Amino acid sequence: MKLNLFSRKDKKIIKDPLMGENPISIHILGICSALAITTKIDTAVVMTLAVVAVLSISNTVVALLRKLIPNKVRIIIQMSVIASLVSITDEILAAYYYDMSKLLGVFLGLIITNCIVLGRLEAFAMQNSPGKAFLDGMGNGLGYGAILIAVAFFRELFGFGSIYGYNVINDNIYFSGYENNGLMILSPGAFIILGLIVWVHRSYTKVVDKE
Amino acid sequence: MRNNSYTLIFTSCVTIVLGIIIATTADNLRERQKTNEELDIKKNILYALGYKQNIDNPWTNKIVESLYNNSINEIYLDHKGTAYQKQKDIEKNPLKIYQRIDNGLITGYAIPIEGKGLWGTMYGYFAIEPDAVTVKGITFYRHKETPGLGGEVDKEWFKNNFIGKRLVDNDGKLVSIEVIKGFVSDKDPEAYRKVDGISGATITGKGVTTFLKKDLNKYEPYFKKIRMLNEIESL
Repeated sequence: MKLNLFSRKDKKIIKDPLMGENPISIHILGICSALAITTKIDTAVVMTLAVVAVLSISNTVVALLRKLIPNKVRIIIQMSVIASLVSITDEILAAYYYDMSKLLGVFLGLIITNCIVLGRLEAFAMQNSPGKAFLDGMGNGLGYGAILIAVAFFRELFGFGSIYGYNVINDNIYFSGYENNGLMILSPGAFIILGLIVWVHRSYTKVVDKE
Repeated sequence: MRNNSYTLIFTSCVTIVLGIIIATTADNLRERQKTNEELDIKKNILYALGYKQNIDNPWTNKIVESLYNNSINEIYLDHKGTAYQKQKDIEKNPLKIYQRIDNGLITGYAIPIEGKGLWGTMYGYFAIEPDAVTVKGITFYRHKETPGLGGEVDKEWFKNNFIGKRLVDNDGKLVSIEVIKGFVSDKDPEAYRKVDGISGATITGKGVTTFLKKDLNKYEPYFKKIRMLNEIESL
C-alpha cells in the first residue's frame, strides 16, 4: 500500500501532537528535559532534533516488528530499541558536534527514560503501520520540540538577553538599569515559563482536564 | 500466545542485531571522538594561557591546531622540578607543563589540575604568569557539578576572579588560591590570594581550593626555581 503523505488522516497524525495532543503541554510528559536543557535555544534545537530522530525511527522499527514481538517482553524490546538509538545519537553527536554533546551531557542519554518515547511506542507503534508510526514519531517529536524551543526562547531572552546566541538587548538598556534575570537560568524560572506556556496553550486549544 | 522458546529466540536476535549496530557505529566514530577530545583539551590550555576567541573569526579545528603547535611548548618535570623535553627521560611520575611562547619568550605556564567537586572529579588547567607568582587564568573542561550552582566554575565571571591573584605570600612561601564563602573583602590582608565563592556551591569551592593546593605543591620545586632565577635577574 502506498502511503499518501497528504491524506487527511496522516495530516492529523502529525498535527495533533503539535496542538490538542501536545505531549508536554497537554499530557505533561517529558518535563525533566524541558526544564533541564532549555536555558538556551541552540541546546533546545539540538535536543529536539535528537528526540525527533529517536522517536520517529524507534516508532518505525517497533511498528515493523509489531506482529513479531512477543507480548510479555514487548516493553523490554521497545526499551532496547530506544536505548540503542539514543546511544547511537549520543555517539554521532560526540563525533560531529562535540561542544553540543558536552552541553547536553547526561540529558541526551536520558531520552531513553523520556515517557513520550516509550508512550508513543506502546500506544501507537504497536497498533499501526510503519509509515503512520513514522509520522506519529515526527509529530510528537516536533510537538515536544516546539514547547522546548518556546521555553528556551523566553529563558534565553530574559536570562541572557540574547536570542539564538545573538545579543538583542541594547547596551543602552543595560546602562539605564535593566538587568538579566538570573532566575530564568535556574530551574524555578523554567517551571514558571513552562507553567505559563501550558496555561496559554491549554486555553488556546480549549483542553480541560476531565473531572 | 507464543511459547517461551520463541520469546527467547526473538529477544536474543533483537539484542544481537542492536548490539552489532551500536558496536559498529561506536567503532567507526571513535577516531573522530578522540580527535575532538584532544582538540577540546588544547582549546582549554589556550584559554587558560590567555588566548581569546575572536567573535568574528571563531576557532575552527585548524586554527586551534596551528595556534597550539606554534605557541605552546610541552615539557616534563621530575619530582625535583628539573625540566626535560621528553617524557621518557623521567623515570617515574613525570609532571606535564605547557609553556606559552611569544616571540621566543615564555609568557606563561599552564598545569593540569584535577580533583573532587561535589558530584565527581573536575578537570581543568591553571595558568601562571612567567613571574611564577601571578595567576594568568583557569579553565575547567570536564566536571559534573550542578548547572547554575557548582557548574558556574566554568563561567567567565568565576574564572576571571582568579586572574591577577598571587600564589605566594610576602616571605615567598606557596599559599595557593582559596575560594572562600561569599565575597572577598577589600580589607582582608589575604585578599591577594582569595577569590569569591559561588553561592550555593560551598563544597565545589572547597574542592577547588583543595586540589589547587595539592597540584600547585607538586609543581612548586619548578616554580620556586623560576622565582629564584627571576630574583637574581632583577638584582
